Amino acid sequence: MKINSNDSDEKALITDLINGDEKAFELIVSNYHNLMLSVARAIVGEAFADEVVQDAWISAIKALPKFEGRSSLKTWLLHIVSNGAKSRVRRENRMISLDDCWQSVSSEKFDNTGHRIDEILPWEEATPEALLANEQLQAAIEKTFQSLPPLQRAALTMYDMEGLKMEEVCNILDISASNARVLLHRARTGLHQCIEKFQDK
Amino acid sequence: MIKCKDLTEEASNYLDGELLLHKRIGLFFHLLICRSCSNYLQQIRNTIKTIKVLRPREKETYDTCPLVKKLRELSRKPD
Repeated sequence: MKINSNDSDEKALITDLINGDEKAFELIVSNYHNLMLSVARAIVGEAFADEVVQDAWISAIKALPKFEGRSSLKTWLLHIVSNGAKSRVRRENRMISLDDCWQSVSSEKFDNTGHRIDEILPWEEATPEALLANEQLQAAIEKTFQSLPPLQRAALTMYDMEGLKMEEVCNILDISASNARVLLHRARTGLHQCIEKFQDK
Repeated sequence: MIKCKDLTEEASNYLDGELLLHKRIGLFFHLLICRSCSNYLQQIRNTIKTIKVLRPREKETYDTCPLVKKLRELSRKPD
């Protein structure tokens, strides 16, 4: 079940959480745990992400009675995990690289004036429904997504899937707008290349 | 002069409306005359739509049931 982010539904959910309602806890964890993990992995890396997310959940539940609703519950949770991850980064002295594993569109596809050599045809199966009817393709997209660098995954998840504003994505990941846009484009290009391979088959 | 390579690099920014006007207009006119780039842009658009529907997830390394239980217990304890 998906949490409806309108005010009254969120208020009801928060009241249920404060009252210790089991279903409310299952709902909030199933909706936001994966997203929080994505942010933690992007900032602090795989090794510490689980721990950072668990700590963030504990802080959030403790602070929940003081939640004022100035942002959505989702954004509030993402800021908590982001702050936890950033302080962990400082403690571990980790550096974040934006350039790992980037495969741009091959320059062989363009002539020396920058124009495409081969004609690009429209995909035969173009709608999400038609594309996702192919289970192998669905599995390949999921695999490609999971193999993207964590920062790319987090930018794509928050912007394209969760509909967060770019400014919010930048605040949470602590990166500039131009870097966030590069990450987003790289993630989309990686997934496009995955679908393109299936269209060529 | 806008080239196919420029469109490939700026496809996301073009779709998200994040370009300065002169660049946007340049790409717009390139798209009118270049069928390959127009098809490429449509493919990127379809990729984004597909991701929104599929919503691929992070690989989770552990079962979250104990976490749910722990958080619930925590909410019942006074500080």
